[in-house]
Amino acid sequence: MTSFRIDSGTLIDRDDVRSFTFNGEKLAGFGGDTVASALLANGKQLVGRSFKYHRPRGILTAGAAEPNALLTIGRDGRRDPNTRATMAELFDGLEARSQNCWPNVNFDIGAMNGLLGPLLGAGFYYKTFMWPAAFWEKVYEPLIRKAAGLGRASYDPDPGYYEKCWAHCDVLVIGAGPAGLAAALTAGRAGARVIIADEGAQLGGGMLAEGGLIGDKAADAVLADIVGELHALPNVEIRKRTTVFGAYDDQVFAAVERVQKHLPEQAINPDRAMERLWRIVAGHVILATGAEERPIVFGGNDRPGVMTAGAMRTYLNAFGVAPGKRVALFANNNQAYQTAIDLEARGIEVAAIIDPRSCPDIDFNGKARLIAGAMVRDTAGRRAIKAVTVRHDDGRDEVIAVDALAVSGGYSPIVHLACHRGAKPVWSDEYAGFMPPEQCDGMVPAGAVAGCEGVVACFDAGAKAVLPVLDGLGFGAEPVRLAGVEGVTASAPNTMAIWSVPSSKGKAFVDYQNDVTAGDINLAMREGYDHVELAKRYTTNGMATDQGKTSNVNAIGILAQNKGVTPGDIGTTTFRPFYTPVSFGALVGASKGFEFQPVRKSPLHGWAARNGAKFVETGLWYRSSWFPKDGETFWRDSVDREVLNVRENVGICDVSTLGKIEIFGADAAEFLNRVYCNAFLKLPVGKARYGIMLREDGFVYDDGTTSCLAENHYFMTTTTALAAGVLTHLEFCAQVLWPDLDVRLASATDQWAQMAVAGPKARDVLAQIIDDDISNEAFPFLAAREVSMFGGRLRGRLFRISFSGELAYEIAVPAGFGESVADAIMVAGEAFGIAPYGTEALGVMRIEKGHVTHAEINGTVTPADLGMGRMVSAKKDDFIGRVMNLREGLVDPMRPALVGVKPKSPSDKFATGSHILKIGDAVSLANDQGYVTSMCYSPSLGHAIGLALVKGGPERYGEEVVIWNGLAGASITGVICNPAFVDPENEKLHA
Amino acid sequence: MSSLVKCPHCGLRPREEFTIRGEVATPRPHAGADEGTWFDHVYLRDNPRGQHREYWHHSGGCRRWLVLDRNTVTHETGDVVDASTLKTEGQA
Amino acid sequence: MRDFLLNNVSPFPAKADANGHAAVHIAPIATGFVTHVLGKGNAKADAAHLTKLISDIAPELGATLRSPSPGQWFWVGDCDVSQGRFAEISGQIPGEYAISDQTHGRVRIMISGPQVRDVLAKGAMIDLADGVFVVGASAMTQIGHIGAMITRTDDDCFEIMVLRSFAVSLWHELHQMAAEFNGPHAG
Repeated sequence: MTSFRIDSGTLIDRDDVRSFTFNGEKLAGFGGDTVASALLANGKQLVGRSFKYHRPRGILTAGAAEPNALLTIGRDGRRDPNTRATMAELFDGLEARSQNCWPNVNFDIGAMNGLLGPLLGAGFYYKTFMWPAAFWEKVYEPLIRKAAGLGRASYDPDPGYYEKCWAHCDVLVIGAGPAGLAAALTAGRAGARVIIADEGAQLGGGMLAEGGLIGDKAADAVLADIVGELHALPNVEIRKRTTVFGAYDDQVFAAVERVQKHLPEQAINPDRAMERLWRIVAGHVILATGAEERPIVFGGNDRPGVMTAGAMRTYLNAFGVAPGKRVALFANNNQAYQTAIDLEARGIEVAAIIDPRSCPDIDFNGKARLIAGAMVRDTAGRRAIKAVTVRHDDGRDEVIAVDALAVSGGYSPIVHLACHRGAKPVWSDEYAGFMPPEQCDGMVPAGAVAGCEGVVACFDAGAKAVLPVLDGLGFGAEPVRLAGVEGVTASAPNTMAIWSVPSSKGKAFVDYQNDVTAGDINLAMREGYDHVELAKRYTTNGMATDQGKTSNVNAIGILAQNKGVTPGDIGTTTFRPFYTPVSFGALVGASKGFEFQPVRKSPLHGWAARNGAKFVETGLWYRSSWFPKDGETFWRDSVDREVLNVRENVGICDVSTLGKIEIFGADAAEFLNRVYCNAFLKLPVGKARYGIMLREDGFVYDDGTTSCLAENHYFMTTTTALAAGVLTHLEFCAQVLWPDLDVRLASATDQWAQMAVAGPKARDVLAQIIDDDISNEAFPFLAAREVSMFGGRLRGRLFRISFSGELAYEIAVPAGFGESVADAIMVAGEAFGIAPYGTEALGVMRIEKGHVTHAEINGTVTPADLGMGRMVSAKKDDFIGRVMNLREGLVDPMRPALVGVKPKSPSDKFATGSHILKIGDAVSLANDQGYVTSMCYSPSLGHAIGLALVKGGPERYGEEVVIWNGLAGASITGVICNPAFVDPENEKLHA
Repeated sequence: MSSLVKCPHCGLRPREEFTIRGEVATPRPHAGADEGTWFDHVYLRDNPRGQHREYWHHSGGCRRWLVLDRNTVTHETGDVVDASTLKTEGQA
Repeated sequence: MRDFLLNNVSPFPAKADANGHAAVHIAPIATGFVTHVLGKGNAKADAAHLTKLISDIAPELGATLRSPSPGQWFWVGDCDVSQGRFAEISGQIPGEYAISDQTHGRVRIMISGPQVRDVLAKGAMIDLADGVFVVGASAMTQIGHIGAMITRTDDDCFEIMVLRSFAVSLWHELHQMAAEFNGPHAG
């Protein structure tokens, strides 16, 4: 295909040619390729521009830590910015674009930032752009954001489906490299419930990069056998493409599975999740996350063509991609030499191995020239590396022509998950890395994360690490072994800690993604920001989307070196979830659009819809707010008509959403007496009573009616808003405060369809469907009892209560029959002019009647403030709120109290929230007399009316005041009055 | 993402099933107690760093009120008991 | 008295049973009763005693009890119970138990199929594995944001009981959760 694709590659399928575009250019790769491997195979070493200096950047790694090769993949709603090319699987038709370059990746105007380098050093935000201050918001910030943006999110909605799932297991194995596979297989054979998760497209981890034999068998065949056996075990769940990104309290691990992100659009099943967020409840955890290879900080270490040694080996062995024709290796440890060995085995020239150790203790028999005690101090080449400058131990410089450079600065165990709950990793001088904390919160680190080196040793360690866990679970287990491998010897990495090359020429990058150089770290130190957390924030080292996977330890090393202490003394910054970026789609799951939250529908929803209701969301409920008739174009047209019809004829309203609680038990009456501030002990059977509940601090909590249906059986209604809250409150009282009382609470909100039938003709209508006598004598105001309906075909509960102020009943029937009963009432009421009314008309009528809702019961009012002070029992020993209701500030006669307000001139309008002032007073807090809590246009009176909480309350009926609306700049003259605008003598109520 | 609470009635459940009321206050005073005692009960909370006793309601499960021992530093939860037991111990 | 039509309307969509041949079958349970039984105060749960009691009082209804909370049960059965019969039973239950008819307030859905656990895991945290959640077990929990009681009625069959007002939302969500196994693209 290209000169870079060679005759190897265990992961790719050469029969499966896949075409894709990169910045519009048509290219091809194979099934099994990542976007990174396909680009390299096509000779694309330059893939993007850096964040701050717009320097040309290539592919540094072959995995999750990639700081450079961030591409925008896909288009429209499926566009994913900042996608790591090293993790993105190639599919046919994939479209990839470079980010952060304009007009294109090869010629980027922003690169002139490189010349401004001195102005853009550490803390440049705080220094260079300090003044004039007014420039920051208008000039500097927009410019910086435009120049330094990463990929851009799409404005189109993502058409993909996302979901969240729970999973449970005895043993969660995180990472499917040799250690993880061995642990999973050992646990799986023993019979434990196992989940093994790996972020890669294939299980294998470090084994995938092995080109040779394991024991006496090819590495890929060994791997295939293990994976095959795992698949065959029913108690093992395999999750590929799944990143465990967070360790949370109580052994809950969060993971994101990329279910269909690797598929071309035409292959995506729209009913299957694109990504799935897993919350895994794990009994035990084997942490087999491996180790990250560190780059070395030297001049020009970001030139395209510079790559970690392990990544180069992966591209070579797994993907069949040659990094170049003449390669150098710059490494401070023995393990990296394997890259040189494999390169030579594939016939690629290794021009030199530059090893800073003066006498590397290694048995290397290759052709490559070994330059000991030397370091790379500079690289050359415009868009890709052409040469390295080597500083020998005698101070002499030598330029070596290469077209790729492999770098290895040692290994950093991937300890993140072990540290998410606060534990700190432990520095090891011997290993030259931060090891997992000694207390890993129940996780057992195994393999490279625990310092093992090489496939065989890691496999052995994984198999053994899980044994104590299995033993604890009661499973007898034998550690699995690799066939043909005799005796496992643990080899030492012999890493010589070097963090940055002292003789570096030019910019030497620590954090590639945020363009932080060794010079920046030194500057931060000179300016006093030498604490690791401060240095991080001052330089932004480790703050990019890669969270410093390749840079943090080097930055800590540089700080330590300069301060003359060990990296352990410096310590790490805090590890927090997420390990790698997680899409908002996965975090949101299915909860978007219609599924954002559940909808609660009244049993009368269908009836209301058939009658043309406009619905309004109140909490989760959909309530019918008004019922427009033909010709009514404005909501008030309908609402005014509905109100007048109730006042003159009769209306029907769905009140099913009110909270309903059945209260049983020998002490139910005593219980009610304690939770309401008014008396309930002697409520007779067949009667309803209005009740006010206080909070323990003496303020009103909720109101409603409670009816006594039978001895020791009560039926409470609450407001819709506090239905859940009141039940919870009652449960607290019953379970915690008075567990000695025999009281039992059952929520019955959903059992009953409940309708208010209100108006002077309400009785005439209901008499046609109710068998019992409901005359005023037989069923007076506040009567409440079960009735027979429809000639004995149905039983319902009838309550003579009224929110509208009219002669009114509420009838409750089993929910399933609600629609039929409402239909029957409509038919029965036709001759009487019945019309449905919604919550808007209900709201108008309750204001006309001076009834309160949570607009008035707003947490600051007492019963006395609402004009119901006399309801508060003085006789009862105890009830919730009794003592605090009597404290000094709550009995002050000048507290704001409920009044009505109306405009002096009937044509004037005013708004809820307006404040009340004495006429002639200046507008000030000191002069404030109160505020309007509710207002509406009263069709019964023909002008605006309102309820207000005003100092002195009813004492001031008749007083003219200013109703001041500061927001609208509108003030009118109003009059304080009785809040019962309609039927203040309650004659209609008792009719 | 989540954490788990061991409901004494339902077993391990995710935190989302619970509603937290806050610290277990002083026991509810009798009606004749002085105002200071009542103020302590209604308003005063210790808000400690470390072990904390809280009321949790298993609103998404058995709807029982629970008392949960929680460490505000480590988030570790110790005993979880039904809150009705407090009264018999004179603590509610 | 006019001859008004009285229909017991289901809260579920009209073509509720349309996916009878789907891999994950979701169907409303249209008949039957749900009775909330509340034991005295905080007395210890005594399901055995209650079972005997209701078997004696109403042997025709079965004695399937599912406990959402200590001292409380949902007595559930598949045959319809008239309001009159419920009143009779109510009169015969001794005072140590209170009963509240919830037949209309709590509705039931049957969900079954080999992948039913994978579907429910998308909403419910509880572990529904064979050895953990045996046939007959039930739990009051949440499916997504909706409270529900999950009961295992057979190897691959579960019953979901939910408040009526949430029924449409849960119905919709269960279908969405099952779509990858049921949809035209499933395979």
